[in-house]
Amino acid sequence: MLQLEGVTKRFGGLTAVRNVTLDVQAGELLGIIGPNGAGKTTLFNVISGFYRPEEGRIRFDGRDVTGLSAHAIARLGLTRTFQIVKPFGNLSVSDNVMIGALTRLSSIREARAEAERVIALCGLGPHAHARAKALPIALRKRLEVARALATRPRLLLLDEVMAGLNPSELAGIIELIRRVHDEGVTLIVIEHIMAAMMRLAQRIVMLHHGEKLAEGAPGEITRDRRVIDAYLGEEFNLAEA
Amino acid sequence: MTADRWVAAALFTVAALVPAVVRDSFILDSLILILLWGALSSAWNVAGGYAGQVSLGHAAFFGVGAYAAALTSARYHHSPWLGLLVGVVLSLVAGGAIGFLSNRLKGPYFALSTIAFAEVLKIVASRWRGFTSGSEGVPVPFRPGFWTLGLGHVQWVYLALVVAILYYLLQVYLERSRIGYQLAGVREDEDAAEALGIDSRRRKVQAVMLSAALTSVCGSLWAQYVGFVDPIHVFSIDLSVRFALNTIIGGIGTALGPFLGSILITSLETYLRATFSGMKAGFGGIYLIIYGVVLILVVRWAPEGLTGIAARFRVRRADAPA
Repeated sequence: MLQLEGVTKRFGGLTAVRNVTLDVQAGELLGIIGPNGAGKTTLFNVISGFYRPEEGRIRFDGRDVTGLSAHAIARLGLTRTFQIVKPFGNLSVSDNVMIGALTRLSSIREARAEAERVIALCGLGPHAHARAKALPIALRKRLEVARALATRPRLLLLDEVMAGLNPSELAGIIELIRRVHDEGVTLIVIEHIMAAMMRLAQRIVMLHHGEKLAEGAPGEITRDRRVIDAYLGEEFNLAEA
Repeated sequence: MTADRWVAAALFTVAALVPAVVRDSFILDSLILILLWGALSSAWNVAGGYAGQVSLGHAAFFGVGAYAAALTSARYHHSPWLGLLVGVVLSLVAGGAIGFLSNRLKGPYFALSTIAFAEVLKIVASRWRGFTSGSEGVPVPFRPGFWTLGLGHVQWVYLALVVAILYYLLQVYLERSRIGYQLAGVREDEDAAEALGIDSRRRKVQAVMLSAALTSVCGSLWAQYVGFVDPIHVFSIDLSVRFALNTIIGGIGTALGPFLGSILITSLETYLRATFSGMKAGFGGIYLIIYGVVLILVVRWAPEGLTGIAARFRVRRADAPA
């Protein structure tokens, strides 16, 4: 569904993403891990069209989308959430999600109905009429997901939707991610919370200094020497054992 | 219908009835100006309120419209309606250029660039004597008739009222249409809008172009109503600030706000000027001080504008136990 070939993104002298090649199958749930500054979010920005890569090709559904604008890529069915949430703060939750739905639907009434469905799916029902900026962080993260889902993506990039949540909120959002995946949406998830990642991802890619350091099933990746040295540390294996 | 819509309907009805009861030209003149300023502020609101592109140079489009109509009728002896169309076309082009700038310059930098744009037009209009008569200005000949826009006070009230209602309805449309919701998204967060498939640059340019054209139409009408156009006034920053101020005081990003702001500020200014202008020269400017104090009070007590007071009242009532 998504192919990256030798994708490189530079900022002046700094290479944030270096020669990354990646193949994501339809229906997959791929995890991306790596230390801060490894280039995870930059990779998302490149895939979703917010940055143009200096080198390499990106194909979505067999179509070359390298250098297309973010809105054009979103309309093709590839969208993302933002690590630092970007709600339409002065609008209601319902309006936020409806603006997402209006990407596929031109009638306000249909978009409103679609928004209601997605809001219910994401457990935001009781807050539908609240102003987005009045929501606590856990709900704002859900709103990011809801708004993106309303555009009916086939591939959705989730950028740290679990960061900053308490354990019960965490369980809720993991449940939500599962439900979205079950609806047939292919997912790429950036996350630092390894316990959650181990339960969710079918395959994990580890980025380090902008390069793909390791790739494999969750069980393999946590035993990979390079991953332990660069990211997880010895403590992790002890804790898991 | 929400309270805002009822208030608007009531205001427009009152405006329509006034000429049937009142013949005093001072009152009719004030009413025409309130309606025109309300329409102009609504035009500003399309870019500044709904799309979030706050301009302080909208006098540029007003001036273009004013000069287009005035020169067409005074110099070329054609109908000012034709001039109005010419002004719209020129303003669409200029609005496209300014809208394009908004993709490069954000917030205060965008506002500054719009001021510069209006200033450049002011200088061009002042110096291009062969065409615009320079700073002497262009007197607009009064030729009675609708086609020549030589109208009496009562007819002007109704013409301004029609324009005001159309602009109001356009804003209502912007509040509940797909493009309106998408503009709100772009205003709130451009990146998030892009991620949802909205072409935010195109939407912003469209909003600024529409706003420019609407401003230009009122500029043309104003020139015909007042009968005189000079560069220092029609391209002045005072005018640009006035459009923004009416809207902000009334309620930015609401359909009713620009009209409420226009009613408050236009009548306040007219009243104060009439009351205090007769005083000794030393007190000539005192109305400006009172005017300023009132503005400060409004911003202090109604930071979201006059329409915000009603909204707050509604919320409080909704919160109260039944």
